[in-house]
Amino acid sequence: MNFGPPTPLSRRAMLKRMSAGFGMVGMSGLLSSGAMTQQLPARAKRVIFLFMNGGPSHVDTFDPKPALARHAGEQPTGKLFKKSSGSGFMPSPFTFKKAGQSGIDVSESLPHLSRVIDDCCIIRSMHTNVPNHEPALLMMQSGHLQPTRPSIGAWSVYGLGQENENLPGYVVLRPGKRIVVGPALWSSGFLPAQYQASTVATTDMQVDRLVKNIKNPRYSYQEQRAHLDLLTQMNREHLKVRDDDQQLEAQIQSMETAYRMQMEATDVFDVSKEPESIRKMYGDSPYANSCLLARRLVENGVRYVSVYYTKDNSTQPWDTHSNHNNGHTKLCADSDQPTAALIEDLKLRGLLEDTLVVWTGEFGRTPYAQGKDSKAGRDHHHTAFSTLLAGGGVRGGHIHGASDDFGMNATKDPVHVHDLHATMLHLLGIDHEELTYRYSGRDYRLTDVHGKVVHGIIG
Amino acid sequence: MALRCILLLSLLCITTEAAEEFWAFQAPTRPYLPESGEAMGSSHRTDAFLNAALAEQSLSPRAEATDQAYLRRLHVVLTGLAPSAEDQAAFLADEDPNKRQRLADRLLASYSYGERLTSFWLPIARYAEDQAHEVGNNKSLTYPNAHLYRQWVIDAFNRDLPYDDFVRYQLAADLHEADADRDALGFLGLGPKYYNRGRLEVKADEWEDRVDTVTRSFLGLTVACARCHNHKYDPISKEDYHAMAGVFASTEMLNETLPGVEPAKEKDGKPMKGAAPAHTRHIVKEGKVQDLPVFIRGDVNKKGDTVKRGFLTALSKGKPQEFAEGSGRKQLAEALVHPDNPLTARVMVNRLWQEIFGQALVSTPSNFGALGQRPTHPQLLDDLAIAFGQHRSIKRMIREMIETTAFQRESVAGSTLTKHDPANQWLGRMSRRKLSFEMWRDTVLNASESLDPRGGQSLEIEDETNFRRTVYARISRLDLNDVLEQFDYPDPNIHASHRGDTTTTTQKLYLLNHPFVLEQATLLGQHAAAANDGITLLYQRLLSRLPNEQERQRAQAFLDPGEERWAALAQVLICSNEMLYLD
Repeated sequence: MNFGPPTPLSRRAMLKRMSAGFGMVGMSGLLSSGAMTQQLPARAKRVIFLFMNGGPSHVDTFDPKPALARHAGEQPTGKLFKKSSGSGFMPSPFTFKKAGQSGIDVSESLPHLSRVIDDCCIIRSMHTNVPNHEPALLMMQSGHLQPTRPSIGAWSVYGLGQENENLPGYVVLRPGKRIVVGPALWSSGFLPAQYQASTVATTDMQVDRLVKNIKNPRYSYQEQRAHLDLLTQMNREHLKVRDDDQQLEAQIQSMETAYRMQMEATDVFDVSKEPESIRKMYGDSPYANSCLLARRLVENGVRYVSVYYTKDNSTQPWDTHSNHNNGHTKLCADSDQPTAALIEDLKLRGLLEDTLVVWTGEFGRTPYAQGKDSKAGRDHHHTAFSTLLAGGGVRGGHIHGASDDFGMNATKDPVHVHDLHATMLHLLGIDHEELTYRYSGRDYRLTDVHGKVVHGIIG
Repeated sequence: MALRCILLLSLLCITTEAAEEFWAFQAPTRPYLPESGEAMGSSHRTDAFLNAALAEQSLSPRAEATDQAYLRRLHVVLTGLAPSAEDQAAFLADEDPNKRQRLADRLLASYSYGERLTSFWLPIARYAEDQAHEVGNNKSLTYPNAHLYRQWVIDAFNRDLPYDDFVRYQLAADLHEADADRDALGFLGLGPKYYNRGRLEVKADEWEDRVDTVTRSFLGLTVACARCHNHKYDPISKEDYHAMAGVFASTEMLNETLPGVEPAKEKDGKPMKGAAPAHTRHIVKEGKVQDLPVFIRGDVNKKGDTVKRGFLTALSKGKPQEFAEGSGRKQLAEALVHPDNPLTARVMVNRLWQEIFGQALVSTPSNFGALGQRPTHPQLLDDLAIAFGQHRSIKRMIREMIETTAFQRESVAGSTLTKHDPANQWLGRMSRRKLSFEMWRDTVLNASESLDPRGGQSLEIEDETNFRRTVYARISRLDLNDVLEQFDYPDPNIHASHRGDTTTTTQKLYLLNHPFVLEQATLLGQHAAAANDGITLLYQRLLSRLPNEQERQRAQAFLDPGEERWAALAQVLICSNEMLYLD
């Protein structure tokens, strides 16, 4: 940066300036006095965050509540964010079955995830601050209710750096173009711009549509090489009479990396290179394609991949305010197979042990009905919901925490979103209290002044 | 660890009593001109300080830059555009010993000067045309006429509005008679409106934005740090914070219907609700006057004692100065520009120095507090601040800077300076710097003869029909264009103290493959192909110089396979380090 302290250009300052890849070298390891003063043993090297936009219903997926059937139609009591105006408690239309060796109860709407449940940890005691999409989305992605902070992906890459300099460190995959809140969810905020996610709309899986400026519409690689040869010659001469200025050298290197990346990224982003059997395993839907691409990306050294579950015609499909039972059946059917396939596929390749997979919404849904007739829905619910974790050092086949008999409030071992963030960073080998960035005279953290590592979910 | 922290804290903390001793809270004092400085042969006042510092470090400065290098430097620094071939020929042929001063006169008087400085100011003002969130398709919180503020800033720089008025109007033009300057209020009126803004805790977040933007922009103090607790390092209490937040709590955001325009109405004649506020300017007005309680640890549900609206204790004489007239905005502006305020002039002078020299005297331009950096040349900073406080002319201050010998030095360091002053803090040479994205893009457009001089309503930077200067690009909080973002345009959700300086492959992929670059290269290639000497044309328009014989031969050899390589040659120059950097 231009504003380094007025001391000789240190190694650290140089690293801050230069970046050969999409992003740059992280704060840990390579920097002698980086943001982190303490490094924990890392259980996970990378993260795939599967985000179910709109908020899936916990009582219809991973948190069975037989009491809802017994008390169907009764109005909820206690402290409610909004008075219930519907027909009272609404039992899940799904039966729950004990799955795997661990015997975790999972909704029959998720047969594929049931199959891999022994690799998964379910947190049934999640809670967040508010039952509104925008702030809850921001809380889940950036640990703050307003859109002014860096996202957890940006923090992660800031903390760990990149594995592959020819690929971005942080990629966001989104089947639909529009998402509620939007880019603030994957922003680098006040962190340097290279921690911003590269976002990829996965509606069209053609590589040059996926990655911006990856292909020259006019010149072949060979012709482009001839241009670059001339450019390099000019740049070398320019450099020679300018004290071998390292920032100029960095530009030359960066151009060469970009040239190579055109080929490497083209390859990695191309899911058509996957064998038919693997493509079948994931299924054929925009979300399935995103999950498959996420695996290819982490396999090739991308640090953090977020997949947003959106659709062309819906920015938050899981937001089932009406016709819930029907809607949730379809959503589970559409998302279950790709999610499970991703976990299985990572495991088969030996990647699951150091890849953390997170499946969650921004909140859950009310155990009671919104509306009255057979088309009743479920409203937003932030005081209890469920999150699924797999791989990356979490305890498989484990349930953490519990909500009350009705799924109204997280009662046993509640886990706030800040705690989830602290735990995710912990698994990545980062102490959430040490990963700070000085901005506007203050040291900022992903978890602000909150967050406790949930040791119970770590295997 | 804990012990170290406490020790460190006690070393860094500045209590109000100690504030008077911390440099930034002391009034600038007119320093004696150092005698050693004059030995280096400059009669210029600013040089005396710079040269004395060099002498103290036993460093010898570099020689004067060539006319050719100086011409490109001054053009780019003052107008954001490289000189035309005609400018180059005329300047090099001119034998008037005062030609550098005459050039400065001309460039400071050009319209481009205001556009160039506005590119610098907008990120400070966290200028943007929408919000970071949008619920459904509701556009009622967007700012379609944000460009009125931008235009005001351009005009203010061009007419050299005195800096105190520049501050006054942006905070309180509505409370002055200067009705022509109402657009200046966009500084506040284009601030972020957050989600759920009816709620008290969200209002409190918006007040924090106003306090943060105003204090970091004008005072170089991070007052918003004291929202939840007394400032840990600077003499700013949570009472100070709430006294200032009260001013903004008593101010309302306003979409004011522009003169001569009928406000949009519903069928029943009532004003349109929730519609995009077209035909309005986005400013502020006086609201319901209120003093705020101290919100304990920032929690609006935990109210402490009420604090009267007023100024920072550390910058008041004795008791904190109270602001009782209306919201207190006008008094706040007056307190900021008061001659006794030790910070305002220093902060702006330092920002201008940054723009002219490519690096600042205080390398944390928005933080002059204990955690900020100390000035490299404290006496010079004071000397400039005192002068600026008296004449208040930005153009005059810039002229003072560019007329120094220091500004006219070559940028080559040589082995001694590379070794002993690698970061060039003692300015023995000119710092080599990267062109901002605005400078690079505008120079390319100018070279291809496609630059459209119009301003007005913003266009998307990647709009295929956008050939305007980059300062007129739409700036979005919701979705900042990724070209701008990748080239270090700061996040417009918050005040930006400076720009990042990154070198990434994403930038290079843009230069290699983006349609804008390819199209501009094609246009330039067409001009070159049609010219008598196309190679010279490209070198002059892009690099502000003639090619040497070796370069000419090499370019010719590159072109030989066929005419279609003119565009490729143009693109190579557009992407070259010589084009991207300023010596």
